Amino acid sequence: MSEVPLIRLADVTKVYHLESGDFVALDHVSLDIMENEFVAIMGPSGSGKSTMMNQLGILDVPTSGNLFINGKNVAAMTNLERTHMRRDTIGYIFQNFYLIPLLSAYENVEYPLILKYKQRDTSGKAAAILKSVGFDEKLSAHRPTQLSGGQQQRVAIARALVNDPKILLCDEPTGNLDRKTGFQTMDILTGLHKEGKTVILVTHDPKIAEYAHRTIQLEDGKVVAS
Amino acid sequence: MKDIFFDLSVRSVKLNFMRSLLASIGIVIGVVAISSMGMLGTNMQLIVKNQLTAGINTIVITSDVVRSEPGSFGTPTTGITKSQLNDIRDAAGINDVIPIDRTNTQFSIGSSDGRGSIMGLDLTDMKSIMNVSEGSTPRGESDAIVGATIASRFNLKIGTRIKIGEPNISVTRPVVRVVGILPTIGMSSSNGINTDNAIIVSDTWYSAQFGGDNVYDQVNVNLKDVSTLSAVETAIGNKVNRNKEVVRISDASSRVTSVSSTLSSLTTFILAIGSISLLVAATSIFNVMMMSVNERVQEIGILLSIGTEKGEVRRMFLYEAFILGIIGAIIGGIMSIVIGYSVVSAMIGNTAYFFLPESIIYVPAGMLIGVVVCVASGVYPAWKASNMDPIEALRAE
Repeated sequence: MSEVPLIRLADVTKVYHLESGDFVALDHVSLDIMENEFVAIMGPSGSGKSTMMNQLGILDVPTSGNLFINGKNVAAMTNLERTHMRRDTIGYIFQNFYLIPLLSAYENVEYPLILKYKQRDTSGKAAAILKSVGFDEKLSAHRPTQLSGGQQQRVAIARALVNDPKILLCDEPTGNLDRKTGFQTMDILTGLHKEGKTVILVTHDPKIAEYAHRTIQLEDGKVVAS
Repeated sequence: MKDIFFDLSVRSVKLNFMRSLLASIGIVIGVVAISSMGMLGTNMQLIVKNQLTAGINTIVITSDVVRSEPGSFGTPTTGITKSQLNDIRDAAGINDVIPIDRTNTQFSIGSSDGRGSIMGLDLTDMKSIMNVSEGSTPRGESDAIVGATIASRFNLKIGTRIKIGEPNISVTRPVVRVVGILPTIGMSSSNGINTDNAIIVSDTWYSAQFGGDNVYDQVNVNLKDVSTLSAVETAIGNKVNRNKEVVRISDASSRVTSVSSTLSSLTTFILAIGSISLLVAATSIFNVMMMSVNERVQEIGILLSIGTEKGEVRRMFLYEAFILGIIGAIIGGIMSIVIGYSVVSAMIGNTAYFFLPESIIYVPAGMLIGVVVCVASGVYPAWKASNMDPIEALRAE
């Protein structure tokens, strides 16, 4: 394993300016995540889990401190560079699946490929990845609203994987699934970790966190255990 | 390449079909308004211009140069001489050249006196350019035809006798007999002579009474082809005004120009009224686009968070506005032809010019303006969508 961490938070603070006053969501957090780690981020609500997730997903930038992803300082990047890093380096798996409602399952998976290569997928990659999560051609033609929660989450995983990202960022991936489907989803993620992905999991469910090899505990915006 | 953002826009339009259709109707109305108003104005212009051009096939030549003619007892006269007339005939080529004598005079019909102009024309010329509505053209020396105004004012009939000249007890006034009555000419005289208030007699009778046998007050050149107007004018000018300007050459084209420019301002004005409806349409498109953006906040959040560029999100919404515009423009274009044709035929009563390029061009022009207005209305909503904060947007319900 390389010595340079894939993700490095160096004294990262995130402050939200609210009407009721400033709210410190992340308080001087320093943290390294190496390539091919399986990390669970845990903590009660309001502990800064979501803020941490937004930082790691480059949807937001730190108020102070530095965040390096894949060796690059996120705050120093342009908006377009951050957009491209989200597209190429990170795969997102959300609690609410967040599939694009107007697109079919297949098109949802094909979509990141179109973003990257600016053309429709002719390589068959989207179909192959969908097949690996148990979707045949017929099922792939369905719109998200016609699919069950577990099926939607599998489409979401396929979409996250299609551009072959280094990092899989999973925000409560089993939160909207029943126990059985939840564990099936976790099995898929475990398999992906074995294939070399760095998996970061945000959850409040200790049973789910058990899948991870390392648990980072957040409280009031501070890391209390890692 | 089939663009997925275009696909997304098409699906969004389909998903909200009713709303999209209603918004497009605004554009339809706008396109129809602009196109039919434009066509109405243009057809009006073309028709009026054509009517006026009918009168500009006449070149009028007059002279203000004062000279003493041998036949006029040393009295200074103005007018066009015989030799100048011959020069004009040479220069005019195949076109008809009509010399006219005219003066103002008093006359009496029975016991009532009047004033009007009396014109002397060659009998053959009279036959070729005067179309009487009643009676016939003069055959004899003392036959006359009269204009419509004079005829109705003095209740002239065929056979009525008119005494020409000032009433004078010692002299017997010459008499002409009305053999024909001319129709009302008004402004649009097709031969350059306003005959409404005139008594027209033969040139020989005229010379016998008023003199000036070798000089004419006016010479008209009636063109066979109106496009030769300036060429013929130049030819006459070169021939007659060789050394200095002795005759004045004029035509009615300046009148046509001024009427045309008035009508063109009128067209611009009604077009401006038509554009108001397009402004209303723009508002409704803007409204629908804002609704589309506001309804799809979470979707926009998804697109942005998984790496869609701002420009791509903008494009998606501009496509949507473009699709609404295209739908509106196509329906509007078809309706413009139907409605425009009906309006022109109802208000002008002449559709001869409807399919000419300068008229029908308003259909594609109106369609293009409709699409442009539509896309322009989508610019702000598209910008708003692309600049959303993905975190905030994802949180939206």
